[in-house]
Amino acid sequence: MNEKEKKEYLHKFDNQLHLLGRITAAISVILMVATPLVIAQMYGVSISGSGFLNGFLKVGVIYIPVAIVEFLVYAPMLGTGGSYLSFLTGNVTNLKIPCAMNARDIAKTTQGTVEDEIVSTLSVATSALVTMVILFLGVLLLVPLTPILQNPVLEPAFNNVVPALFGALGCKYFAKSWKLTAIPLLSMILLCVLVPAMIDQTSILLLPAGGMALAIGFFMYKKGIL
Amino acid sequence: MNEYLSQVNAPSLYFIVGGVLLFIAIMCVVFIVKSYRAGIAIGMDPKVLKRAITSSATFTVLPSISILLGVVALSGSLGVPISWLRLSVVGALQYELNVAEIAATAMGLTGLKVTEMSVSVFVTVVMVMTVGILGGVLCCIFGLKAYLGKVKGKKKNAPEAAEKADDANGDRSEAKAGGEEQEKKKPGFGAYATVAMFIGLCSAYIGSYVGTFARRDNFMPLMTALISALVMAVFEYFTVKKGKAWLDNFSVATSMLVGMIAAVVVNLL
Repeated sequence: MNEKEKKEYLHKFDNQLHLLGRITAAISVILMVATPLVIAQMYGVSISGSGFLNGFLKVGVIYIPVAIVEFLVYAPMLGTGGSYLSFLTGNVTNLKIPCAMNARDIAKTTQGTVEDEIVSTLSVATSALVTMVILFLGVLLLVPLTPILQNPVLEPAFNNVVPALFGALGCKYFAKSWKLTAIPLLSMILLCVLVPAMIDQTSILLLPAGGMALAIGFFMYKKGIL
Repeated sequence: MNEYLSQVNAPSLYFIVGGVLLFIAIMCVVFIVKSYRAGIAIGMDPKVLKRAITSSATFTVLPSISILLGVVALSGSLGVPISWLRLSVVGALQYELNVAEIAATAMGLTGLKVTEMSVSVFVTVVMVMTVGILGGVLCCIFGLKAYLGKVKGKKKNAPEAAEKADDANGDRSEAKAGGEEQEKKKPGFGAYATVAMFIGLCSAYIGSYVGTFARRDNFMPLMTALISALVMAVFEYFTVKKGKAWLDNFSVATSMLVGMIAAVVVNLL
């Protein structure tokens, strides 16, 4: 294959990946959105429109900007095939990116080349498949344990799954910058202690707390103390 | 057995979720086959391609076991099938739990508590979780081709500049010096923005647990959070101070599970 033929082949290959990626990602989105609708139909219940809108607005404010930033930052690192697969199968920063980087290091490809992009796609697709297989095997093992997991004795565990998550994450992130943590954390504690009605409004509290941390972070960044 | 839990663990839900995941698995296989063939066609060494596949498979095993622990943590409130689906596609444990909690409170519950959940709340929560995370996928569907085209167009100029430097100096010293200069540059605020946002997020929740303890005499959420934080601190010690980076794969899920077990034990006392 001479250089010209190679170039044409790669152009065609890239277009094919985009077409395949768009079609399969669109079908996957439809399947994912259809899942709760089918479950609702099965049990004769309906999705609450107001509940959905209310929840989505609160989630969207935080996660839509994050999704756009992640797309802009990570897509060039992952290339065509790697991007479609990574954004669809998730765990982008904690698994897919490091996995693709590791595969590139091992394959010794140069960043930005077609070889690099092919290795990234192979890596991300393999990683997604392995995760699916391991979760499938794990779920097979979990099924017989379901009655145990539903035992009322374990209720406190699952009622406190969110505190368990934010305790762990809190330790990880607070430790990254206590200077940045102090004001948002103390304000939220004071607010919840002085205005008990706010205790159940964490989804609302996220906005001022996040905004405050971002504003303080930006100020500290500009002053060079972060 | 709790009626809600048996509904969200019904066999039919496993089939629905299995069908969705099968489609995505086939998609991955198609991408592997296409990329492998393209690699061979442009003259890449098959050994290199196979090594990329095997190294990625082995690299993924440990983090996947940690994701599986996340399925266990999530399954008590959302059932096994949906936890399996949600952690196999798009999101990650942190996102799923946070969004499920936000959606549950938006539906009028005091939180993602299995004792308050019903199937109608469940389907709404799952819909919010699904739609809320689609931003990245939608960006790919509608904007990836144009965006990567632009990025690649810009990148084309960089190697040309480096080549010119080669021609002039016989090596890439100038280009390298430029790269090093860039590396020394202070990272943009974007690098700190995610940390700041997570600090805000955690502050809101920890604040509410302190409030629950101080004003409602319920110490369980705060105690669970503290135990999880303590376990996480141990993980951080080994990963950051002792260089055991691989342990980081298990830090969040294990810390959570220990915190949750502590909640059960304290409740039994």
